[in-house]
Amino acid sequence: MTQQFLFEVKDLAVKYPNGELALYNVNFRIESPTFMAIVGPNGSGKSTLLKTALGLIKPVRGQVKVLGYDSVRENKKIRKLVRYVPQRDRIGLSVPLKVKDIVLMSRLLKKPPPRFASAKDKEMARDALKRVNMADLWDRPFPELSGGQRQRVLVARALAGDGPILMLDEPLAGTDHESQDMIVEALGEYRNEHEVNIVMVTHDLNPIHTLVQDVLLLKNTVVGVGTPCDMMNTELLEKVYGPTARVIEYAGHRYCVTHDSGVDRHY
Amino acid sequence: MRDTDTVLHMIQELIAIIDLLIQTLSVPFVQRALIGAFLIAVVASTSGTFLVFRGLSFMTSGVAHAALGGAALGLFLQHSGLVPWFDPILGALLFSVFVALVTGYAGETGMTEKMEVAVGVSFALSMSIAVFLMYYIPPTQVPQIWGYLIGDILLLTNFDVALLAVTAIVLVLITLIFNKEFIYVSVDMEGSIAHGMNARAYHYLMLITSALAIALATKAVGAILVYAIMVAPAAAASELIKSIRGIFIAVFVIALVSELMGLVASFTFSASPSAIAGILAAFSYVVAMQIKRLRNRVSINLDTLPQHDEEVNHFLLDALDASAHEGYDH
Repeated sequence: MTQQFLFEVKDLAVKYPNGELALYNVNFRIESPTFMAIVGPNGSGKSTLLKTALGLIKPVRGQVKVLGYDSVRENKKIRKLVRYVPQRDRIGLSVPLKVKDIVLMSRLLKKPPPRFASAKDKEMARDALKRVNMADLWDRPFPELSGGQRQRVLVARALAGDGPILMLDEPLAGTDHESQDMIVEALGEYRNEHEVNIVMVTHDLNPIHTLVQDVLLLKNTVVGVGTPCDMMNTELLEKVYGPTARVIEYAGHRYCVTHDSGVDRHY
Repeated sequence: MRDTDTVLHMIQELIAIIDLLIQTLSVPFVQRALIGAFLIAVVASTSGTFLVFRGLSFMTSGVAHAALGGAALGLFLQHSGLVPWFDPILGALLFSVFVALVTGYAGETGMTEKMEVAVGVSFALSMSIAVFLMYYIPPTQVPQIWGYLIGDILLLTNFDVALLAVTAIVLVLITLIFNKEFIYVSVDMEGSIAHGMNARAYHYLMLITSALAIALATKAVGAILVYAIMVAPAAAASELIKSIRGIFIAVFVIALVSELMGLVASFTFSASPSAIAGILAAFSYVVAMQIKRLRNRVSINLDTLPQHDEEVNHFLLDALDASAHEGYDH
């Protein structure tokens, strides 16, 4: 059997809606299954790469294949495989959906209308909420939660679904340490129990670098692809985060220190 | 003896009132108005609620005015003899769908702000077309265009009621079948598409059905009542109520009560029932805002009263002492 690739990206170029180049000369391959992080500063094209892979944006050149399916011609097939969590601020708060409704979305969206939740759907949703320690808030209105709690519910939404690819856009942004640890732990645990791919966009590698297998370092083009330890390299990080980036070693792990990660505040 | 007299008298008065009520209710135009009020409340609790969820309350007035432009086009085509069968209502529906399409196109990425701009632009365009065409329509026909905006719930024809009933039934059916889709599109368009739902189709379905409903309701009961009843009750309910089903019910109740009180007021003293209903509906929003504010104040007082922590105080005072002794500048 031939090796399956989660991502196979060839000569990819993508533009932002305003016409600027978001990505250019992007070439890489990632084997499946994996826990992968797409890392880079704001505006480096991380989210754009995810959206291109989902067929939400058409590339101006090149192609993306997700588990062998082309992102433009076969995006329906890709979308059947994916559970996606957009950035938290993309979730509208004008509708008083309950926490359970949000978590059930990933299951109900893959059904035909009228999309009634079965007992199994509810069980999976409850189980996913338990993983991020939010089961007690089952009936609470989602818009009333704190930012970190909302983020945990959204991660639970991905965990509750079916499909071999989880794509999470900045699931750690703007969360406190408690929520961050909970999310990272839940994702790691889930990955150990299930044969799935997890793709996470983040501007800070540190919280997850012991979990992930592949890291894509992105600054509008590929700066580096490899294991987290390979990427914890001052030279590479400087290319992405500028000359203030440093790598420090502590308790056998390397950490990168950048203006983005916030670690440097304690310097 | 005197007691039984007064009781008898009161009963007689009561019977007289009931009699009057029955008489009033048996008048056909009152019946039509009551049915119309009920149907408009249904339109408000379906379309109105979804538009407020979507952040598009402005679309109501945009569509109603665009319909005016469409009606002008219809009259122009009829009177110029270009397309004699073209009824003004067809033009109105056509233009309201146009507004929905422009709005929908601007909002395909899920950005509400862009949709509001699109509503504004297509609104201006339709009004300009209306004014432009008025120049070429015989002056005797022009009031008919404005009449489109100032319908009256007391002047409903049987045809209006039938049209409204069909609109309401179609809206209820679509809402029952697709309410989850409409909500998902409002909450997370991007995620809905990424999970394989045809979000774009539901996005347009919601906007187009709402636009058609607004245009038809405007034709029947006039723009004033439609603005008032489509937006304010839904806005009031979503300020206070924390379940989606609760909001649908509350919008229906607020809309119906405002309209009925408007009708009652118009019978007791001479007043436009639409205006009274509009004032009451708007008032419900003000009241909801006030209740929300009060509720927030109460919940702050009771739930999040900060615990007085002696230890922290000590630390703080010590630290302040120390820094004062060391003479730090602050």
